[in-house]
Amino acid sequence: MDWMAFRRSFSRRTFLRSSAVAAMGAALPKFSLAAGDTIKIGFLAPLTGPVAAWGAPGLDGCRIWAERVNAEGGIKLADGNYQVEFVAYDDEYDPAKARTGATKLIREDGVSFVMMLGGDTWPGAQPVAERTGMLFSTLLPSDLSPDTTTLIAPSEVHPIYVVTGVDWLAQNRPELSTAVMCAQDDSLGLPSVATYLAAFEAAGIEMQGEPLLFDPSTTDFAPIVTRLLSTNPDIVCLDTCYSDYVHPICEQLFQQGFKGQIISATADFYDQLIAKTSKEFMEGFIFQFPDFDDPALNADNINFPDANGFYDEYSKRHPGQWGAVSWEYAAIMDLWKAAAEKAGTVEPEAVLAAMQEDGKGRHAFGEAVWWGEELFGINNALVGDWPVVMIEDGKAVIKEFRSIPDWYDKHSDLLIKHMEAYGQMWSQRS
Amino acid sequence: MIELLAQTGLNAIYGASYISLVAVGLVLIFGVMGVVNFAHGELFMAGAYVVVALYAERFVPFFIAVAAGLIFVGLLGLLMERSLFRPLRDNPLGGLVASIGFLMILQSLAVMGFGVRMEHIPPVTQEVIEFSDRVRLPVARLYVILAAVVMLSLLSYFLKRTRFGWALRASAQDPQAAALQGISVNATAKIAMFIGAGFAGLAGALSAPLVSVTPHMGHSIIVTAFIVIIVGGIGSLEGAVLASVIYAVVHTFVTTFYDGVLADITGLALMLLVLIVKPTGLFGTANRA
Repeated sequence: MDWMAFRRSFSRRTFLRSSAVAAMGAALPKFSLAAGDTIKIGFLAPLTGPVAAWGAPGLDGCRIWAERVNAEGGIKLADGNYQVEFVAYDDEYDPAKARTGATKLIREDGVSFVMMLGGDTWPGAQPVAERTGMLFSTLLPSDLSPDTTTLIAPSEVHPIYVVTGVDWLAQNRPELSTAVMCAQDDSLGLPSVATYLAAFEAAGIEMQGEPLLFDPSTTDFAPIVTRLLSTNPDIVCLDTCYSDYVHPICEQLFQQGFKGQIISATADFYDQLIAKTSKEFMEGFIFQFPDFDDPALNADNINFPDANGFYDEYSKRHPGQWGAVSWEYAAIMDLWKAAAEKAGTVEPEAVLAAMQEDGKGRHAFGEAVWWGEELFGINNALVGDWPVVMIEDGKAVIKEFRSIPDWYDKHSDLLIKHMEAYGQMWSQRS
Repeated sequence: MIELLAQTGLNAIYGASYISLVAVGLVLIFGVMGVVNFAHGELFMAGAYVVVALYAERFVPFFIAVAAGLIFVGLLGLLMERSLFRPLRDNPLGGLVASIGFLMILQSLAVMGFGVRMEHIPPVTQEVIEFSDRVRLPVARLYVILAAVVMLSLLSYFLKRTRFGWALRASAQDPQAAALQGISVNATAKIAMFIGAGFAGLAGALSAPLVSVTPHMGHSIIVTAFIVIIVGGIGSLEGAVLASVIYAVVHTFVTTFYDGVLADITGLALMLLVLIVKPTGLFGTANRA
């Protein structure tokens, strides 16, 4: 070998350039799978802490989903079948931990897709998503923005779905004309406040005062409930209060003699709520998350396979733990699996393209559209019908499915107005 | 408006009750031992978890569970005195730091034993005293109020009319002089610690069915307790009780008529105001400041 010729051709600049390219290649996530590999899916959500009720039950549901899929042969890509497993990271609803978790899941664990709760944690993971091009999902479409094209909200459409509950209430209980609302002061509560305000205004229900925002560290809710009841409202709206708040607030409503209508985004562990108050008090409580043993989920338009069976298995393994998110992450996995199989690969861009083909998708509750450019700057939320659930005789029952896009077509101006007032439009987020 | 004021007043009385139990316990410990117990909020939490373990999970009658909470947390206090504060008696800062470490240990033990989710505790009673349609006092809250009145009265009698009480007050005034008079510093420290911790545990146990029981529930109560003892005067039991009432009234009324965040700010502002105007607190004296 001509050593001098080699030295001439391989300059220091060439060496540095080559090294940088090699390093970048090593740093980027690998989306190709070798034969025999297991597809790993990242589960980045609060598994502990006050928001754990919206993370941990979802992981339990995912594990049941994985067993079912693996028993049926796994995920079928172009080059063969792959088993699937979940790799969990507890972000404790903390953005710094979410960032660490996202990095670990992608770089060390080699996941092909990351599911998150979102909200306060999304800003922590967002730089990782943008740098790696990894496909992320969030339960909160309010996280979406044009900045991150690989973030999707294909299951829960918080907070937009809450309009269905108010819409149903206005139609079925027209005698209710006034409402008050409370919420924790954080990124889960605020967009929901704006949406409920729009929904109440669209329904012609008068808000008696500004929504009462409380500090997330509040433990005694008596003063808050006293304030809520001071104007004698027909409706008390609990917005998207965490389960840890819904329970003491409802107890206080019961103890302070409220006899009106309660509406809330969630009612996790409502059986315990009934035990703490009474069946009569909780009768008619409206929220948005069904038990999956509901017969309405056997209808042909429902895209969640064997919903009743899933609920039975979940309840057998985790008695009394069924909550709002027990099915949601599994529903996202149904969509991801279908898209990966269609694309023949787990490569994020290809999966996303397959998922969004024709602008439509198979949401758990029926056919839906990829939607959201006006609110979120990007059509990455899968939006269609959403159930209105009521507690009747101690059991959650789906009263009706209502269309979110139909509501939006009629009242988009109100929603945008209130979102802007609370600084929740995508263009207002820092 | 009258009914709103009355209901808010009842809410404030309940708030003052459990805050005063916690704050008086903290003052007693500081007064006798000269150490700031940062783990005091976790003692409150420990009392709540005794009720979770006995009443909610094992169906022990509620008041027996509460009594067990008082005794268990009192014993925890004795453990703290013997293992943390006594060896560091000449090093108050060391005692403070050690209490922070104990705080983390208690939180971790609660997480390990019970998890981090909020505990769901069956109601003690659903009876409500109705003064009017909009003015109601749940009997479960009345228990807290009555316990605070009874226990604080007993403490006052104990401190003013019993030899052990005199010994405690002597140790709080001048530990060296008390020792010269034959009063055992260790004995008075143990009594103060048992009572102080026991009061926090009692407050937590009684409050457990009424608040969100989590391993981190001690955080907000310790901040409140510090505000109260600064306003009332560090080392003053009467000041702690009065400041508890003032704080609870201010916080509850501001929460009801404005919002909870402003109420928190107002409480801190009250503390700052007292520090500026009367740094020793309402009832504090210079040598205890």
